[in-house]
Amino acid sequence: MFADSRFDYLGRVRYYTAIAVTPLHLVADLPSRFATAFGGLFVERRQLAEENSRLREEVLRLQFELQKFDHLSAENQRLNDLLKASAIVDDVAVRAQLIGESPDPFTKRVLLNKGSREGVFVGQPVLDAYGLLGQIVEVQPLTSWVLLITDPQHATPVQVNRNGVRAIATGTPDSLHGLSLENIATSADIVVGDVLVTSGLDQRFPVGYPVGVVAEVLTGNGATFARILVNPTAQIDRSRNVLLLFRGPTTESSPLPEREKALEGLQ
Amino acid sequence: MAAMPRNRWVIVLSLVFAGVLAVLPLPGWLELWRPDWVALVLVYWVIALPQRVGLLIAWLVGFLVDVLKGTLLGLNAGVLTLIAYAALSLYQRMRMFTSLQQSGVLLLFIGTGQLLVFWVLTATGHNTPNNLAFLFPALSSALLWPLVFFCLRYCRRSFHVT
Repeated sequence: MFADSRFDYLGRVRYYTAIAVTPLHLVADLPSRFATAFGGLFVERRQLAEENSRLREEVLRLQFELQKFDHLSAENQRLNDLLKASAIVDDVAVRAQLIGESPDPFTKRVLLNKGSREGVFVGQPVLDAYGLLGQIVEVQPLTSWVLLITDPQHATPVQVNRNGVRAIATGTPDSLHGLSLENIATSADIVVGDVLVTSGLDQRFPVGYPVGVVAEVLTGNGATFARILVNPTAQIDRSRNVLLLFRGPTTESSPLPEREKALEGLQ
Repeated sequence: MAAMPRNRWVIVLSLVFAGVLAVLPLPGWLELWRPDWVALVLVYWVIALPQRVGLLIAWLVGFLVDVLKGTLLGLNAGVLTLIAYAALSLYQRMRMFTSLQQSGVLLLFIGTGQLLVFWVLTATGHNTPNNLAFLFPALSSALLWPLVFFCLRYCRRSFHVT
């Protein structure tokens, strides 16, 4: 036990034993998988048609926003080039499915159906469709454990989207559903409704993924630090399909002739 | 006369089944009350067939549980070995007990086990409850013991496991 908590060399033992016990997780997941599969059989045609049209609308709306986004991203790239900023990183997301969670009610860990065979590595960021979910803490051949951001042992460096105030969000030990910001002065400019995104200062999570929305700011009389509670944007307890983030090839910003001109103009 | 081991797959299968139950996803409030299925099944086989299921099996099963749950390697292995040792030294008395008395002993075994797990997790800096909630599994295990006992005895007799 001591060896496992302090050193590394039992990792291999655990790694290979995991192959033997993975089927148990799959079997334990069967009931909920059947429920989703057979739940789909008994849906009315009208309901399906409604959903279909709603999804069509959604696709249209998203495509519209994507066009805008493309434009903005190109503009951003140009501006970064002007500022001689270094490489822009394009992330690649790979879909994975949740097949189990830690039976210990006091930790927030979930099991994914992708492991080292698919190239998953420790420290890899995990997202769902709405925001940051957590990071990989243990990799096995076919599966991997994710530590969710709401676990009290997890800390996420964040910044407020509105004004860039930096903070660290950790899981709250009592509820395990929310986050709280540590050591924020009562005078800091953080109000209810502020969106927190990853700041990327940990060199682990990429910049700018949504983490949570400030739900409550408690400033007691004479308290040095405010107590700030945050609701995670990711569907922590409901997501079944998650995204594993791989760092894509870094695209070096090419020196543009315009930039040289701009710099000359400045001098 | 030592009987030849027969139908040992029943023991293995029941332990595998207990392992599945141990990681079966449960709604939040029920998770606090999840019985220690593996310990229950293990204690049954130790009492029923002490010559087949002993400390080594208990340790191996506990080791697999550790990998299954992603806890510290050796935590459940050690605790299950201790529980098996206690059951092994009391099995002749426990066979004479009524199922209520057996439940009481089980409450003590699994409660002690949970306490040890709680100590180790706290010492290694894991998040642990700050009340007695960690003892709920021991209570639910003791309540379910008669059911587990009769099911496994039925299995043992109908498959003539020795």
